[in-house]
Amino acid sequence: MTARPVPLPTSLSAPFWEATRRGQLMIPHCARCDRWFFTPELACPGCLERDWTYREVRGTGTVYSVTVVHRAPSPGFDPPFALAIIELDEGAMMLSHVVGVPPEEVRIGQRVRVRMRELTAQITLPEFEIAPPKA
Amino acid sequence: MLGADPARRPVIVGVHATEQALSLPGRTAHDLALEAALGAIRDAGLDPSDVDGAQLDWSGPGGAPGEGASWARMLNDLAWTSDSFLDNAGVRGLLKACAAIASGLVDTVVVGGCRLVSRGADNSPVGAGLPMEFADVWGSYVVAQFALVAARHMHLFGTTSHQLARVAATIRNNGTTNPEAMMFRRGPYTVQDVLASRMIATPFHLLDCCIVGEGGAAFVVTTAQRARDLPQPPVAVLAGAMEYHRVAYADPPIYDEVGQIGRKAAARVFGRAGVGVQDVDVFSLYDANSFEVIRQLEALGLCDEGEGGPLVDSGAIELGGKHPVNPDGGCLAHAWNGTQQLSLRVIEAVRQLRGTAVHQIPQARLAAVANAGSGAQHYELALLGAL
Repeated sequence: MTARPVPLPTSLSAPFWEATRRGQLMIPHCARCDRWFFTPELACPGCLERDWTYREVRGTGTVYSVTVVHRAPSPGFDPPFALAIIELDEGAMMLSHVVGVPPEEVRIGQRVRVRMRELTAQITLPEFEIAPPKA
Repeated sequence: MLGADPARRPVIVGVHATEQALSLPGRTAHDLALEAALGAIRDAGLDPSDVDGAQLDWSGPGGAPGEGASWARMLNDLAWTSDSFLDNAGVRGLLKACAAIASGLVDTVVVGGCRLVSRGADNSPVGAGLPMEFADVWGSYVVAQFALVAARHMHLFGTTSHQLARVAATIRNNGTTNPEAMMFRRGPYTVQDVLASRMIATPFHLLDCCIVGEGGAAFVVTTAQRARDLPQPPVAVLAGAMEYHRVAYADPPIYDEVGQIGRKAAARVFGRAGVGVQDVDVFSLYDANSFEVIRQLEALGLCDEGEGGPLVDSGAIELGGKHPVNPDGGCLAHAWNGTQQLSLRVIEAVRQLRGTAVHQIPQARLAAVANAGSGAQHYELALLGAL
């Protein structure tokens, strides 16, 4: 393995990747129990409702945890990089990178906002950059 | 004790660990599994024909790779088999065997084998290359996922890299003086040595992480009644519990969900056993990294959440300390070999209770053995006792 792994969209995830290509971050939302969740599952992890939908989120959130990865799992990455769990303002948590600053400057609790980066013609990645503190 | 019928209460009567090394080029997983299984049966004073349950890895060649019933050709008249790799190792394997034995489905089960994960096409770290759509694109892998839990704990409670390094140095030094350990004679290590080793994923330095290599292990579980005329002092399985959260390594480990994983399992175990965690003489814990020990001291109830670092600072986990952890060197220095390091944790606890461990804790009567942890999002705990 030499290149960075490229996601292979499934029936569950295809709308997520179609949205990022359009520049939108869309996250599964269950109207029945009003829950945002990530990663997508066949049924809502809160109430097992199958009829959930992807909805656009604001793309803002907070760094819940972060590790600076010095040993990448494969070539195709450029370590060190800031691998973070982002808590979206709507409530779901997702893995991503915080970019645009030296990775060791990324702190838990920092405000971030999404920034799209084209990885391949098919896949655009939702990365995050530091945002001004919440007003 | 587990089980209503005293005659059928499950006990561990045999153990065997193969050689453990960074690389065993002359051996196959199947060869190591066979040695582990037959070695444990022999240690129990049994003949293979006495075994009627196999929770053993089968990698082939021969048989159907991954299908545990392939053992039926070698261990005749099997009444119980298992296919899933984590059901064939460690505490999960032990507890499933105990449930089957106590309920009368089977009498004598051998659990273990060998499942090598370190022989990839390249030298990528464990967990890399698995197709996990929302994790591997970010360069996430096992060490980094555990690091995300440790980082949050440090943020919330002020746990320090020095405290993590003290765990690593303590357990690595136990392995340095254990001839069976992969890291035998590689130390001793100081806290400064750990802090000076290269960074893998903050806060983990190289020496905060377990040693990845090759080897097999197995143990035999039977009924208290059957154990009466067997040569080894039986080790009782007093209580056990398992705990599961999200999908390991695919979903990020959220501290609020898994930072204290093991707390529910501990409440169940100690609630049933009629003893407290403070009564435990020795701990055989899953030290995939240094932080996991600090976290488990809290989750098991030895101290409050956030107090694991100071408890380590007090010297509690050292061989002469109040709560000795992994006298054999654990995953940090004895072996992490794929899945059967889970069984090595059970085997160390059994040896401590038999009084035959390399670094024997004096008068050890109660041992807690646990597998996996926060980054893995599952936890299995058993309380073992000398009879």
